Amino acid sequence: MLFIDTHLLSLILFIPAVAAVVLWLLPNGSLRFFRWWALIASLIPLVLTVYLWMGFNPNAAGYQFEEQYVWYQAIGSSLHLGVDGLSLTMVLLTTLLTPLAILASFGVTDRVKAFMMLFLFLETGMLGVFLAMDLLLFFVFWEIGLVPMYFLINQWGSANRDYASMKFMIYTMGGSLGLLLGIQLLGVVFHTFDLATITTQWSTFQGSLLGLPIQTVKTIVFWAFVIAFAVKVPVWPFHTWLPDAHTEAPTGGSMLLAGVLLKLGAYGFLRLVLPFYPDEARIFAFALAALATAAIVFGALGSFAQTDFKRLVAYSSVNHMGFVVLGIAAAGLAPGTADARIAMNGAVLQMFNHGLSAAGMFFLVGVLYDRTHTRNLEDFGGLFPLVPIYGGILIFTSMASLGLPGLNGFVSEFLVVRGTYPLLTVYTAISMLGLLFTGAYILKGIMKVLHGPLNAHWSEGAHRLVEISKREILVAAPLMILMLVIGVWPAWILDIINKAVMQLF
Amino acid sequence: MTTETLIWLIPLPPILAFFLIILLTNRRKGLSHWVAIGAATLSWAAAMSVFVQAVGQHELAKEPFASFINWIPTADSWLKIGVLVDPLSAIALFFVAWTILAIFIYSVGYHNFGQPAGDHDVPGLPPHGATIEHGGHNHVVPSIEPMYSRFFAFISLFAFGMYTLVVSDNLLTLFVGWEIMGLCSYLLIGFWYAKPSARDAGVKAFMTTRVGDVFMLLGIAFVYSATGTLSYREIFQPQVLQTLAGVSTPILGLSAAGLIGLLLFIGTVGKSAQFPLHVWLPDAMEGPTPVSAMIHAATMVSAGVFMVIRIFPLLSLDPRTMTIVAFIGAFTALFAATIAVAQNDIKRVLAYSTISQLGYMIAALGAGAYVAATFHLVTHAFFKALLFLGSGSVIHGMEHGVLHTGKHIDAQDMFNMGGLRKKMPITFWTFLIGGFALSGFPLVTAGFWSKDEILASTFGGHMGVFITLAIAAFLTAFYTMRQITLTFLGEARTEAAAHAQENVWTMTAPLILLSIFAVGFGWVGIPEDFAGLRGVSSNWFHHFVGSMLGETHAIEFNWIPLLTSLTVAFGGLFVGWLAYRRTRTPAEDALQIPVLKKKWYIDEIYSALLIRPAYWIAETLVYQTMDKGLIDGLLHLFGKGTAAIGSGLRNVIDKPVINAFFGDGTAHVVQGTGRNMRAVQSGRIQQYMLVALLIMMVVAGLAYFLLIRL
Amino acid sequence: MIPISWYLILAAALFSIGLFGVLSRRNAIAILLGVELMLNAVNINLVSFWRYGGIADMSGQVFAIIVFAVAAAEVAVGLALVISVYRQRRTVLADDLDLLKW
Repeated sequence: MLFIDTHLLSLILFIPAVAAVVLWLLPNGSLRFFRWWALIASLIPLVLTVYLWMGFNPNAAGYQFEEQYVWYQAIGSSLHLGVDGLSLTMVLLTTLLTPLAILASFGVTDRVKAFMMLFLFLETGMLGVFLAMDLLLFFVFWEIGLVPMYFLINQWGSANRDYASMKFMIYTMGGSLGLLLGIQLLGVVFHTFDLATITTQWSTFQGSLLGLPIQTVKTIVFWAFVIAFAVKVPVWPFHTWLPDAHTEAPTGGSMLLAGVLLKLGAYGFLRLVLPFYPDEARIFAFALAALATAAIVFGALGSFAQTDFKRLVAYSSVNHMGFVVLGIAAAGLAPGTADARIAMNGAVLQMFNHGLSAAGMFFLVGVLYDRTHTRNLEDFGGLFPLVPIYGGILIFTSMASLGLPGLNGFVSEFLVVRGTYPLLTVYTAISMLGLLFTGAYILKGIMKVLHGPLNAHWSEGAHRLVEISKREILVAAPLMILMLVIGVWPAWILDIINKAVMQLF
Repeated sequence: MTTETLIWLIPLPPILAFFLIILLTNRRKGLSHWVAIGAATLSWAAAMSVFVQAVGQHELAKEPFASFINWIPTADSWLKIGVLVDPLSAIALFFVAWTILAIFIYSVGYHNFGQPAGDHDVPGLPPHGATIEHGGHNHVVPSIEPMYSRFFAFISLFAFGMYTLVVSDNLLTLFVGWEIMGLCSYLLIGFWYAKPSARDAGVKAFMTTRVGDVFMLLGIAFVYSATGTLSYREIFQPQVLQTLAGVSTPILGLSAAGLIGLLLFIGTVGKSAQFPLHVWLPDAMEGPTPVSAMIHAATMVSAGVFMVIRIFPLLSLDPRTMTIVAFIGAFTALFAATIAVAQNDIKRVLAYSTISQLGYMIAALGAGAYVAATFHLVTHAFFKALLFLGSGSVIHGMEHGVLHTGKHIDAQDMFNMGGLRKKMPITFWTFLIGGFALSGFPLVTAGFWSKDEILASTFGGHMGVFITLAIAAFLTAFYTMRQITLTFLGEARTEAAAHAQENVWTMTAPLILLSIFAVGFGWVGIPEDFAGLRGVSSNWFHHFVGSMLGETHAIEFNWIPLLTSLTVAFGGLFVGWLAYRRTRTPAEDALQIPVLKKKWYIDEIYSALLIRPAYWIAETLVYQTMDKGLIDGLLHLFGKGTAAIGSGLRNVIDKPVINAFFGDGTAHVVQGTGRNMRAVQSGRIQQYMLVALLIMMVVAGLAYFLLIRL
Repeated sequence: MIPISWYLILAAALFSIGLFGVLSRRNAIAILLGVELMLNAVNINLVSFWRYGGIADMSGQVFAIIVFAVAAAEVAVGLALVISVYRQRRTVLADDLDLLKW
């Protein structure tokens, strides 16, 4: 076996962090070098992930490419890494979006070295959550991801950044307190934090715990887990940190925040909540579905109400992630049925798709903001003739976000709707209202920015709007290609997701 | 190449053309239209080849051309997508291919290819004309559309959507094509996006149809979860239909089949602009005229009816659903016709007429007249495309006159026209053919045969529908003649109309082509025993399409519907001519009453009841009150609460007790002691020694007394 | 034979005179002289205890000799310090040398 085969996951996981440390040690010098260093350092994991994807056997059961190293032996925690179909998809998303976010941030001139370092650390943090097969490790990476993002918002954000970064940090950390307690509880009970071991034992665990009946404990811990992940996803009504954080973050930060960080929450549902608490998930499926539906409908309405373009896009995340949670609720309600599996397929694909489209949308908003220094929709208007290429890309990405058939969003939303309809008919029907308003806010964005009479402010003099640059097209292009490819031929990714879902649920 | 492979290839050229134009040739206008028309021609050729083979196939309905592939893995099974050409698809392919080709060619002329670039034209607005010098004079002539290439890209995508929809063998790819057309209609209606009216019309079209689409999506999810498949052929297996008809649902007491049918039908209500979702279609007239023809005739609105025809076996299982369908169709047919009589915009009249005619088809389907609806769908596609292109030609000719005279008047208002028959003879004659077909002018026009068949099918069993449709047919003939009279007959009402000019061949040739079909296509569906003329016609259409449902025998001939249809057609045409032959201004028009002008105030009602409340709910209720107020308020309250607890602890415990007492207190004591004691440290050695001596003596004394004496 | 107490009284008187000198004289050299007196008073004690204690044990004598040596060294260092202080501060009065004051 080659070294690369036996250590593939740790290479993917730690190369960005190592590159960040090396970057820190490098003397201050040319900004160009720092940018390229970060870009190349984040491209290596992408290449390795593609290699991983090639080597991954979707038919095999369980985790693959496992690696286990000694870590906290005394409390039964180890550095245990592994991938299955679910995490593989998310790893691909992360390693794909990070270089794009870095490339999108080439325009940053303020403290470039620190900025790039934070991105690389962030990548390691996010990848760690997806790759961890040990609960303590999971939690550590879960929290590590927050820190670089906090600084990215706090240091490079726009006007209201202090409030936003504080809200983001405290909300997410506060949410994950219960998660930490829950994880500790499991660790105390089983003397190990190993995911696979706990998964097999916990759901059938009987007896009493801490003097309480096990059912009560499980219910409490279930909700602790759910709230931690629900804040991150975010599920209504835990969503209000999101518009602030997304809006204030720098462009690259918003891309990763919407593209990957939100997926951590949904991934937590898939990886921990459903396998650990099948009974509770069934009992509370309707509550979860109600929250998801609320997220879909209120997210869309909230987005529709915005006058700030970036906030509009931020709210759309609430709307889209609602479908993920709706699919998860359906899967919790009737695990093992074909309907639930289809819903789950849709939910996982929706995570991936939302990663693409939300990152794309935030990027495009950022491109506009870089040039105009305003995000107020009323300040734009009729920009299409000035920036035809940008306009085309914006319409394309918007349509992917809207769920136009033929592009990626439709496939996943259709699968979710298809899977949840027989199980959660009423909720699915209500969520259609959200789908309707998805159209409304997307069209509102396009209408206010591109269409209508030209705002002369942007057409002449120093303010003249500059067309999207080649570098920026290079950021958008991979996203657009993937949107189209998944929309037309989703089987390549859905096959892996489907087989993983079949094994897990 | 097998026929199946060919069918797969039909939709491909337009989508390739779309990408080619967008990515490569968008700066070369001529090249762009060649790419688009070339692609349309390829698709047309493939479609015709398939059509001919389909017609030649024995028992096509039982053994259609079909092929499928696995598309999405769904748990243990795969969602399959594929192509299917049965008699219905074959017929649809025929009219779609012809109309699309005609519209593509027409667009070249309509967008002034070959004309100079405009003086002040900007992308996003219609061209305003260019000044050229000719023989010492400055002439203003039409200028080429600045976004010419983009237009061809969009209509290519549109064509792709329609072909996909037609050749699909399942509801999902049908929905894909359906939505892609929805996008294109949005882009094309809002083609001149810098005009606020066009921009808003595009959004309105998209949103209104989306209302229907989300219901349709639910319907698709329902049928998919109930049957495990989306393929028509599998859904329409007798035992599957049986099961669906047997399951009841809580909504309106409908069976599962009925509810699925209803949900899918709501999609059609949106797409085919049936009441109450018809409001987008008249506004869609903001788009360039070829777009109107695409949307109204050949493709998008037909798609809605096409889908209902497709799912007819499912829909017809539940009589209640059928009643709803028939009611909506008939109501729409009459409702839209009443509005059409009071419109002055040449295209808006046609728009309402389209709504009305689609209502006809829907009503026919609701009444169970499957073949008649299909027949009318096809003939309507031809003559309505003809009428729209004709009206475009009129407008274009008028615009020429407007530019020539330099007086800016509305080139679409029929009261600005008049006498155009002499100026634009080809347009006039073809428009006349289209208009007569629409009115159902007997025997020669296709519209007569299809409309007659609908009336004949509804007669007897569905008298309410029959009477409504007959009245609507009268109104149709009336407003058509009103339109023709105001536009072409009489004398020119304005200078612009007097200077109108016939258009280039790229515009007139499609008109002639379509007028041939507007007449000739009716002959394939003449009933066998029409008016006792047994043996004249084989009624090929009925046998071909009817074989889909095993219904090959035409309905019995009856004189009453025939006479009705003759009466309303002639009556309407005559009254229309009589009433408008001398009308010169809108004031003289007795039908300009506000309630009809304002389209029964439907837009106003929607605005008050739906749109403004939606804004209010989104902005005030959800965002300001709930998110900003309630949720963030709670969060801030929580934040402030913790901050209060924190500062409380600090002020009550930390500051006074820990800091002041323990921390600073200790320091103060030590410091004070030191300050007070420092005098001892005098620096004088003899003093120190003296002190040392004294202390030693004291210690020694103490030691002596304590240790030795005690 | 003269009883030992006479020697001890003499030594005590001498020590007290020396101590008085150390504590009361202002001149540093006089203080040093007082210290010498005190040392020698100790020597008298040592020698007398040797004479009246065990003669065989020589440690009394040895201590006295060591004290001589130390006293000599002390005087040398002490005088050197006094001279050094005088050079620095032009005074040898103990009261003026209060640099160690707070």
